[in-house]
Amino acid sequence: MTQPSKNAPAAMQDDTIISVRSARKYFPVQEGWLRTIKGYVKAVDDITFDIKKGETFGLVGESGSGKSSIARLILRAYDLTGGEILFRRSNGEVVDVSTLSDRSLREIRREMQMIFQDPYSSLNPRMTLLELVGEPMVIHGVGSEGEIRDRVADLLRLVGLRPEYLNRYPHAFSGGQRQRIGIARALALNPSFIAADEAVSALDVSVAAQNINLMQDLQEQFGLTYLFITHDLGMVEHISDRIGVMYLGRLMEVGPTDEMFAKPQHPYTEALLAAVPQPDPRGNRTRKRVPLKGEIADAMNIPTGCPFHPRCPYADVKCRGEVPELRMLPSGRQVRCHYAETLDLVGVAAA
Amino acid sequence: MTLAFNPSQPPMPPDRLLQLDDVGVHFPTRDGLVKAVNGVSYHVNKGEVLGIVGESGSGKSVTARSIMRLQPKNAINASGTIRFRRKSGEELLINEQDRLSRTMRDLRGNEIGMIFQEPMTALSPVHTIGTQIARTVMLHRKVSKAEARARAIELLGKVQMPRPNDIVDRYPHHLSGGMRQRAMIALALACDPALLIADEPTTALDVTTEAQILELLKQLKDEMNMAIVFITHNFGVVADIADRVAVMYLGRVVETGTVDEIFYEPKHPYTQALLQSIPRLGQSHGRRLRTIAGMVPDPFNVPTGCSFHPRCMKAVGGVCDVQTPDDVLFPSGQRARCHYAGQTALAEAAQ
Repeated sequence: MTQPSKNAPAAMQDDTIISVRSARKYFPVQEGWLRTIKGYVKAVDDITFDIKKGETFGLVGESGSGKSSIARLILRAYDLTGGEILFRRSNGEVVDVSTLSDRSLREIRREMQMIFQDPYSSLNPRMTLLELVGEPMVIHGVGSEGEIRDRVADLLRLVGLRPEYLNRYPHAFSGGQRQRIGIARALALNPSFIAADEAVSALDVSVAAQNINLMQDLQEQFGLTYLFITHDLGMVEHISDRIGVMYLGRLMEVGPTDEMFAKPQHPYTEALLAAVPQPDPRGNRTRKRVPLKGEIADAMNIPTGCPFHPRCPYADVKCRGEVPELRMLPSGRQVRCHYAETLDLVGVAAA
Repeated sequence: MTLAFNPSQPPMPPDRLLQLDDVGVHFPTRDGLVKAVNGVSYHVNKGEVLGIVGESGSGKSVTARSIMRLQPKNAINASGTIRFRRKSGEELLINEQDRLSRTMRDLRGNEIGMIFQEPMTALSPVHTIGTQIARTVMLHRKVSKAEARARAIELLGKVQMPRPNDIVDRYPHHLSGGMRQRAMIALALACDPALLIADEPTTALDVTTEAQILELLKQLKDEMNMAIVFITHNFGVVADIADRVAVMYLGRVVETGTVDEIFYEPKHPYTQALLQSIPRLGQSHGRRLRTIAGMVPDPFNVPTGCSFHPRCMKAVGGVCDVQTPDDVLFPSGQRARCHYAGQTALAEAAQ
């Protein structure tokens, strides 16, 4: 059905479900009524990482760092400017998402789904729960009307909503419940991969905790793989096995959660961790917190050299002139910093 | 329980800036009366930061807006008194002031400043930052246009805005989120208010920017000896900035105490449960989050007795679902609105 990818799919390891390789996405910036292109916003620039089957990969970074763009590239809501994104289908076949035809893409999308941040704007207010959650099945022509109805009832039960709510509209539900409707909808076609873009950021503390637990239960039950995008470092630490830290469209550091948070090797990771206000007043009083200076640079005028150097307390001449590569350290950590080996950075102490 | 205003109320202690006693704010709706604020009491001393935490719908913002008399027109001020010590030293009963009165207009901006979550909707998009600040200054002070502009530049410098001489002539859409928040703080501080009401001022910001704004607010507070009512749903932020904390649930303050008491010796089961449901940095990931069962009830059907009892792990049948608890006062000054506050052992025995 889908032709095998030209680019040696064998290079992808068996336990890997998604492999993002040198992915780039540039958005043209147009000016004037002639729409002349005056430059490009490099939303995603030379990003490479793998997501293993069954794991939760967290992506963190400030707004404008390109986190959401990556999710959209993987699901091919955006087309790549360069690079490739390999996806292992549930039948074992490896495909390059970026070159698929529309028809094959439809097939693939049954296996990849997305959960959105705002449960108010991502659900059509004129559709009932049955229509909303059943829509993916209708689109893909799966099941008869009766089967869809039963499946939707099951899905609602699965996410902790009562199946009697089938004919209600989203306005009758709270933010946390709407998020669950979004989760049920994402699960409708039995995907193997779900990208959750700030899925709990808009929710209250106690409700966010319920939904995070639900997502973890579902992961266990169905062997799901998550790409979890958030700016909440506490949440990402809680749910992720491995984490990628993004800054200005680039990955600065990738590694296992525990190791990376205990001992970051990129100054930006250190700064992010230091900025999180902790629910610990005594600790806050003793912890030395030097807020990171300045703001994330304009994506149209990315600083020369290391994009983080204007805000980096450790930067020197080399950082201003030379762009660091994402390197694999002996520890297995990937870091984009000239001085990753020599800097002694502070993480968060395990409690 | 409801006290009518008693003119023989003892005067506020001299260092007290603001005191709310049994404030009730109701909204008539098609579906019935919503008691958004149902008997709230708290106070703020001069130069202190009171953190107000609670989930959405707990009445945090409605209470704060009633201090400014910035309520929707259909709001009913059902009960209670709001007292504020003016710069002249006299006590003003804010709840007796009409929202359009000269006194309130004089108070707003001059003695009480307010900052909001989304600066883009709070600032005027068609006036420059400088004009907006200068107008506030000219409204309350007898100064010339040139002096007001100089004051605006001085204030922008004070909130650590880069290039204040340039920013003063910019429009809000020219600025980034963090800079807009700084501009709004400058505007709120234009006339050296004794009290600043900050309604989720950092919620929309990135952690690094949030850390900068919190640091700035702490500095300004010390410099100007200003008190802050800081509303947020983020326990980390409260732990960072507050001296005392009030926890709200369904229109009531359920617990108040110093920041250390709330975080290390919470007496109310709701506070305890909330604190356990937040993921903390440095704790091993993957562990299940403690959740609070159910969700915040809708405001039309507030449970009888203690409004938290249906979700409370420690609720005792026949007591909590029948009787509305009063504040239990502890020797340290900490208060918790729970029948069994501080007597967990007793509650377990009763079960």
